Amino acid sequence: MSGVRAPVDGDAVLGLSPRVALEPASLDEAADAMRALARDRAAVTFVGGGTDLELGAPPARLDAVLHTRRLDRVREHAPADQIVAVEAGMTVAALQRHLAPHGQRLALDPPHPERATVGGVVAANAFGPRRTRFGTVRDLVIGVTIVRADGVVARGGGKVVKNVAGFDLPRLLCGSLGSLGLLAEVVFRLHPLPEASATVAVPGLAPAEVRALARAALDARLDPVAMAALQEGDRFRLAIRFEGFGPGVHEQAERLLALDARGERIEGADEAALWARHDALRLAGDVRAKAAFPPAALEGAVRALEPVVATLAAGALVLHPALGIAFVAGTLSRAEATGRAIAAARPALRPGNGSLVLAAAPAALRAVADPWGDPPPAVEVMRRLKRELDPDGRLAPGRLAGGI
Amino acid sequence: MTARSAAGEAARREGVGARSLARQLAGIVGPRNVVVDPAELLVYECDGLTHGRVCPELVVLPGSTEEVAAVVRVARDANVPLVPRGAGTGLSGGARPVPGCAVVSLSRMRRILALDLENGWARVEPGVINLDVTRAVAGDGFYYAPDPSSQSVCSIGGNVAENSGGAHCLKYGFTTNHVLAARVVLSDGAVVDLGGPAPDAPGYDLLAALVGSEGMLGVVTEVTVRLLRKPETTRTFFATFPSTDEAGAAVSGIIAAGILPAAIEMMDRLAIVAAKAATGLDWPDVGAALLMDADGPRAEVEHVSARAIEIARAAGALEVRVPRDEAERQLMWKGRKSAFAAVGRISPSYLVEDGVIPRSEIARVLRDIARLADEAGLRVANVFHAGDGNLHPLVLYDARVPGEEERAARLGGEILRLCIRYGGSITGEHGVGAEKAAYMAEQFGPDDLDTMQRVRCAFDGAALMNPGKVFPTPRLCGEKPGPYRPHPAEVAGLAERW
Repeated sequence: MSGVRAPVDGDAVLGLSPRVALEPASLDEAADAMRALARDRAAVTFVGGGTDLELGAPPARLDAVLHTRRLDRVREHAPADQIVAVEAGMTVAALQRHLAPHGQRLALDPPHPERATVGGVVAANAFGPRRTRFGTVRDLVIGVTIVRADGVVARGGGKVVKNVAGFDLPRLLCGSLGSLGLLAEVVFRLHPLPEASATVAVPGLAPAEVRALARAALDARLDPVAMAALQEGDRFRLAIRFEGFGPGVHEQAERLLALDARGERIEGADEAALWARHDALRLAGDVRAKAAFPPAALEGAVRALEPVVATLAAGALVLHPALGIAFVAGTLSRAEATGRAIAAARPALRPGNGSLVLAAAPAALRAVADPWGDPPPAVEVMRRLKRELDPDGRLAPGRLAGGI
Repeated sequence: MTARSAAGEAARREGVGARSLARQLAGIVGPRNVVVDPAELLVYECDGLTHGRVCPELVVLPGSTEEVAAVVRVARDANVPLVPRGAGTGLSGGARPVPGCAVVSLSRMRRILALDLENGWARVEPGVINLDVTRAVAGDGFYYAPDPSSQSVCSIGGNVAENSGGAHCLKYGFTTNHVLAARVVLSDGAVVDLGGPAPDAPGYDLLAALVGSEGMLGVVTEVTVRLLRKPETTRTFFATFPSTDEAGAAVSGIIAAGILPAAIEMMDRLAIVAAKAATGLDWPDVGAALLMDADGPRAEVEHVSARAIEIARAAGALEVRVPRDEAERQLMWKGRKSAFAAVGRISPSYLVEDGVIPRSEIARVLRDIARLADEAGLRVANVFHAGDGNLHPLVLYDARVPGEEERAARLGGEILRLCIRYGGSITGEHGVGAEKAAYMAEQFGPDDLDTMQRVRCAFDGAALMNPGKVFPTPRLCGEKPGPYRPHPAEVAGLAERW
């Protein structure tokens, strides 16, 4: 079998080193690799660009790492149908470069697009600011090809956007962290590249003002593609982005400026720089957490998260007020204190099924804080699902919430 | 023996007669809410798909989650299959009973439990009518986006089961994109909550599996749906074309221009004739028509709408009509939405099909459908969601003519096969149900179906919930196709490498 090699340092997953690394270059090779792993009863973790490898818990067992990086081709792009079928190991940036000449894009802007792979994005449910308008990968994936733990190749969904034939495997796999099967190919619906873009940034806002302005923009029936508030000292700068045709973008930006006189309209390179700053702030340091809550609970969430931020060196918050998401990022200095602050924040976030999940954490913090928090309410069904598709518990065992 | 008849047979073997079961269920929901009278049971023999009727053993109408859970436990102990049912408007036989089953009608559970406009959601019982959700929040400028043509009569629970779409899902997505949470009773009687008003609940996205599972994973007793703010502006136009070729080219041109219409619907000559007959609209006698909505902020919509009209004209539009006011706009949409029923005006009987093709193939597929119809000696009217390639061919026939119904059914099947051949799907929004289960094996391979079955087994190991739907061949849970056996050469080859 080709694509099998001895492991190197870079193959480690959250401190665990595999005894073998596999790099299949085709669906057939991936299926061969999975059958071989099944025969060997080997525990395996799938790795794309490795940008979300720290999300969740370390695998309980790790014999092999399977890299998808050689599965990096566009299988089919039908511009007129606005769909693309792509192998899982292609990076988001490479895919966007393929699509751009056709005036199209995958309307998803996760961090590190040069490294993040489409399969990894699906597995980790990765997203960026445009989630405000386009949703998560769950709203964009229309088909998958997986290789199951037993080496069987199975497909779900299809190549048309509207399709309700059979159970929805593509969406079920979103966020499954490679614990139900190897994502080998993904089919996405595409969106047109916008003709124009503009961002209005409003500095000096308290959390309540962030929520109020975000709400006012939506109440005014504006249709932003992104809304994010970046922490600056004890205040926030709220950035609201519009994309579309020139007249629509212009009018919406002007109407937003009319809602708040402190706003500043930003375009071109400055606009790109502002959103790059969003990504940098969200990814700063070695501790990253994502809080989720009903959007109207924004101030409460900020109050619950501030003690966590305070325990970190150079800690900061990034708020997505329309989504009910806040990112905490910073550098660990006192693991015990951060662990206690996380434990204290979780109950405050729980109403409305809110959560606080560690997306990255050094071992010292993992020793004192569970990356997921309490098991989800339907954890028994989740365990049964895992057993159905991976009866021997070999696919990224223990990575998911509830020890799945 | 199939799984469904196995369950029914077992029920009979164990002597759990309908009367004893009815008594137990009446103890839970009250005697008035258990239907055993043969005349009353007739209503439940089918859903919106009226052929292939099966009489259930009985119908039970629980009034709460607790009652549903108790009903499920009784049914499980008696090994009686359950068929959940919403408003019974489904078009694929998803609520068709199986012999010996109990139909669980959720029609008594029709309360709107909570509205939270600040967070944009409504929590409702499954029997709530789709349009009533919008009615409850319209005064505050909100609405519930999925809008199947039956929205004034279909229920949210049924929408969740079928992952219902509608005309506006090109821009706004399907039911699955609008369900935030659900409370579900599983076949072991457990009540589980999936999702929540907060996003990104840790763990598997079981809601994704639930929505569109056609009642096979559990009985949904509460649904939290997303509410959207009504768009500021909607612009609609109606354009006529010499044939579906030009109309199809207009759709492709509009999409290629980077426009995402809220809806773009196509009707062919026969569908236009039917809609006129039913509504009295003064639509001309033409080969095809498009009805397009653009919605969103004012300037964007004005720009997009004007551009789309230019493209339609360039593609060969004969006439473009812009409604003068909201009343005229509603009338245009009424013409479109009543097209299914309207076909009854021009044909004694008809079949509604629901297939999906790549949008760019519309013109070719329509020509193929016309050829198949000619060969079958039948007429087909086409009404469809052109933006996402979701066809609704209406096969017209006369049930009084011997053999015509069978020919119509065969033609419907050929059209589905055509959709599969073009890389599409056998259903875009009506579901597979009982009607199209056989075609699943043509769209998917055995391994694909086996994987879906495993998902079902995780939820319903007893195969109690809505058996006989979706899958062409039932499978009992725990019955695995056998352990993996590697090829000896592969073992040897790998043994050397590892």
